[in-house]
Amino acid sequence: MLKVNQIKVHYGRIPALHEVSFEVKEGELVAMVGANGAGKSTTLKAIVGALRPVSGNIEFNGIDITGKNSAKIVRLGITYVPEARHIFGPLTVEENLLLGAFTLDSKHDIEERLDHVYQLFPKLNERRTQKGETLSGGEQQMLAIGRGLMSNPKLLMLDEPSLGLMPKLVTEMFKAISLLKEEGRTILLVEQNVREALELADRGYILQTGRTISSGQGTELLESEIVKKAFLGL
Amino acid sequence: MRQVLKDIFSFEDRPRFERIGFVVFILIILVFPWMVHSAYGRVVMIKFLLFALFGLGWNLIGGYGGQVDLGQAKNVGFGAYATALMMFWWNTPFWVTVPIGMIVAAAESFGVAYPMFRLKGHYFAIATLCVALVWKELFVFWDWTGGARGVELTIRPTPDFTYMQFGSPIYYHYFIFLLFITQLLFMNWFRKSKLGYELQAVRDNEDAAASLGINVYRTKVITYTITGGLGAVGGSFMTVYYLYIDPDFVMPLDLSILIAMTVMVGGAGSLWGPIIGAAILIPLDMYLGAWLGAGKRLGIDFMVYAVIMMVIAAREPRGIWGIIERLRKKG
Repeated sequence: MLKVNQIKVHYGRIPALHEVSFEVKEGELVAMVGANGAGKSTTLKAIVGALRPVSGNIEFNGIDITGKNSAKIVRLGITYVPEARHIFGPLTVEENLLLGAFTLDSKHDIEERLDHVYQLFPKLNERRTQKGETLSGGEQQMLAIGRGLMSNPKLLMLDEPSLGLMPKLVTEMFKAISLLKEEGRTILLVEQNVREALELADRGYILQTGRTISSGQGTELLESEIVKKAFLGL
Repeated sequence: MRQVLKDIFSFEDRPRFERIGFVVFILIILVFPWMVHSAYGRVVMIKFLLFALFGLGWNLIGGYGGQVDLGQAKNVGFGAYATALMMFWWNTPFWVTVPIGMIVAAAESFGVAYPMFRLKGHYFAIATLCVALVWKELFVFWDWTGGARGVELTIRPTPDFTYMQFGSPIYYHYFIFLLFITQLLFMNWFRKSKLGYELQAVRDNEDAAASLGINVYRTKVITYTITGGLGAVGGSFMTVYYLYIDPDFVMPLDLSILIAMTVMVGGAGSLWGPIIGAAILIPLDMYLGAWLGAGKRLGIDFMVYAVIMMVIAAREPRGIWGIIERLRKKG
């Protein structure tokens, strides 16, 4: 479904990604793990068109989307839930969600999606008329994911959904992600929480200083020397 | 279609006290000319409605869009000159000149928006200010527009509804009220429209908006274009109300700043903010002017504005409307 082929990205003159390649197949949950500054978020930003790769290409369902404008890429069915939540504070929960559906046209579809998201995150239903900024950190993260789901994306990209949440909420967050996986949704998950992410994922990739250095089945990777040494401190 | 009409006329989503306040406000405006017989009072009222109208338009880009535009006077000027010149050269009726003025202002805004929205924040504000000043200078040097001497309209036997010239200020009062209420209803629709929500999303967080598939750049350009068109309406009114315009009168920097300030003082990005801001600043401006006399020339009024602006920025950036909302939540 998504094929990233040897992309190279620079911030100004500073290289951020040297060579990143990976693939997400339909219905898969793929985790991308790596330390701070490894280039995880940069990779997602390049996919969604916020950054333009210097070389390499990105293919989505056979269409070359390298360097295309974000609005177009989102319309093709990729949704990106940025890290640190980024919700619209002065708008209500429901307005936030409706903005996520903004690529849909039929009113019926929109209502269906809204019901679906409220089913997945009942907390949001309770708070539908509250302003986004009054939600707790965990609720805001759910709102951001719920908003991403509103457009019924073919591929959902989550950037560090557990960032800054307390441990109990992190567990809840991963539970929500596993629910999405059971639905059969294709997900690309970027995480620093290496263990949880790899346990949940079908496959994983490890990113280090702008390169994909290893890949494999989620649990397999978790057992590998490289992960044990670099991330888990074993 | 029915949904659109409902969005235009329905204030149902606003709290009760706002709806009651709005009705009371409308009633006061409607009976005002029959209650207040002071000529100066009536002039102040008309100017208040005019600036509330300007504020409503500017609130689109400046409030809902969060882009500080310091050049709205150019659009006022386009409207004013469209009406004045077409009446002067070709005797065109008022109601024909208004849409033309709006189209000219919108087209110019669209043209300059393209490069200007490559800039952000302060840089954008400075760019808008410069564009407006360039237009003013062009009008000063252009003979066809009357140059620095401006355009004077021939006075017609009154009242005349084709050219909208009236001897009595009562007519002008209801005339500007009509324009004002039309724009208010437009804004009431706009804030609930798709573009309205896109715009608020862009204001709150450009990256998040882009991640939802909103074309940030396009949203800003369209809004700036509409804002331009709305600014021209008040300009057309100024022409037939004052019957004389020149670039210093309809396109100065002071005007751009006063328009932006009424909205910021009242509460940018809220439906009622521009009206509240105009209700405070315009009487203040008029009575301060009358009281200071020649002192106004020294810029004392600007010092007063500056103090107000600093207090607003320091205490409540969401303006007076922000204070009202905060008090209501407490009480």
